[in-house]
Amino acid sequence: MEYVNPEGLRLDGRRPMEMRQLRAEIGAVSGADGSAMFEMGNTKVIAAVYGPREVQHRSQMVNDKALIRCEYTMANFSTGDRTRKPKGDRRSTEISLVIRQTMEACILTHLMPRSQIDIFVQVLQADGGTRSACINAATLALADAGIPMRDLVTSCSSGYLNSTPLLDLNYVEDSAGGPDVTVGILPKLDKVTLLQMDAKLPMDIFENVMQLATEGCKAVANYIREVLIQNTKQLEHRRGV
Amino acid sequence: MFLVDVSILYFCNVSAIGYYVGMVGLSVGEKHFIQGGIAQDLRTDGRKRLTYRPIFVETGVIAQANGSARVKMGRTEVIVSVKAELGRPSSSAPDKGKVSIYIDCSPTAAPQFEGRGGEELSMELSAALRQCLLGGKSGAGAGINLSSLSIVDGKICWDLYIDGLVISMDGNILDALGAAIKAALSNTGIPKVNVASAAPSDEQPEVDVSDEEFLQFDTTAVPVIITLTKIGRHYIVDATSEEESQMSSAVSVSINRQGLICGLTKRGGTGLDPSVILDMISVAKHVSEQLMNKLDSEIAAAEAMEEES
Repeated sequence: MEYVNPEGLRLDGRRPMEMRQLRAEIGAVSGADGSAMFEMGNTKVIAAVYGPREVQHRSQMVNDKALIRCEYTMANFSTGDRTRKPKGDRRSTEISLVIRQTMEACILTHLMPRSQIDIFVQVLQADGGTRSACINAATLALADAGIPMRDLVTSCSSGYLNSTPLLDLNYVEDSAGGPDVTVGILPKLDKVTLLQMDAKLPMDIFENVMQLATEGCKAVANYIREVLIQNTKQLEHRRGV
Repeated sequence: MFLVDVSILYFCNVSAIGYYVGMVGLSVGEKHFIQGGIAQDLRTDGRKRLTYRPIFVETGVIAQANGSARVKMGRTEVIVSVKAELGRPSSSAPDKGKVSIYIDCSPTAAPQFEGRGGEELSMELSAALRQCLLGGKSGAGAGINLSSLSIVDGKICWDLYIDGLVISMDGNILDALGAAIKAALSNTGIPKVNVASAAPSDEQPEVDVSDEEFLQFDTTAVPVIITLTKIGRHYIVDATSEEESQMSSAVSVSINRQGLICGLTKRGGTGLDPSVILDMISVAKHVSEQLMNKLDSEIAAAEAMEEES
């Protein structure tokens, strides 16, 4: 199947190095300490952060750091076919673990010992790149909750189909069976916190594909920074500053 | 006394932002304030006892569903999606389609919904909604006309899957879900089906599902749900989670446009005198007209916005 036509356009009309449209909203869930909604094209996720708060299970308490917990759930209607089990399946457990480890690396947990921070991510619409959208939403939600972090964490995916590196795969491109590289970075510190790939790639092409994903992450970081600045301006305005 | 009440009012408003009342709990002063306010027909947020919070409806939020809606009542937010798939009717009702309602409480709404914590509430909500909308075992009295979902008697029918997701919780989830289901169903388009004629009686007929033509679902008989929460000696409508924590009992009444009761649930441990229940039902009937009209106008506005965009 042709994923990049001879004119160089993909199935949804994008160029190979073009990301899908980003849209973010801070404060999507009013009852949470921090929350955000993040859209990458048709993929739509909501993240809510509760914490820092008292540890619920005493046995899990850590004396010198905050405990970070994360749960990833997909809504029944998020994919084309109705999924019967929204949570508890292996893919959800794996992604929960991945998001937790990624965020744990950047939160300054030593500032909040003996406490717990819960990150809940809910996928409303899944069209490829849910992992990345969840990490971006979680970053915004943590910023909204005022939790101290080393840097923003942004994530983007890329692949390699029809001998072309493609940025930000959607569901159709993802299920093509080609390689799918997901990268998460700390943009200011210029460090990689998450790197996952499935299928196989020759080493030199892998460098290109990963570089492309990293560029995508930086673009997401710029967007997220803008959204946060807008949000802060609004808060200032409301306070009458 | 008055000065103390004002300061608690300020505290309540500030603590509502960023605090989850269920976790923190209410002080004795706050509880007295809520109960006293309700007795004087002036609730914490300034509403009267029978006033709803501002309702915000958005339709067509889930692109791959046949119909969907997002309803916000104050800070309670729910999303409902309706998907139609071809299926086989059950042998006991060959001329009717099937509808299944399933509600899920997302952990984003409250930390205790993590893992399997939200299962109990989800099952309770799903059961209450099924009871209100789907009628009895024979299908009589259903808010949704199941016969309209049949394609070929005994062989092919539409299976409607109504999935609800609670994203944010601040009391009165059942009413919000009822409103969202009504909005999602009015947004639902069932594809037109052409049945190949002359099929042998024991084989599955060929059907051609149209991608272009859609039939709008008829929602005039779909009821709304009004929950009346009894606090002290008075009933309020559209309780917030603070107010719900003070309730002695609650009655949820499902009423359709004709003013007929489609379902009734009582929650809470305190016993109620039968005359009180009858009074609550008549209050609910009175409130339901306003809610229906408000909901219909919001849904029409949402559909108009969706068509524009």
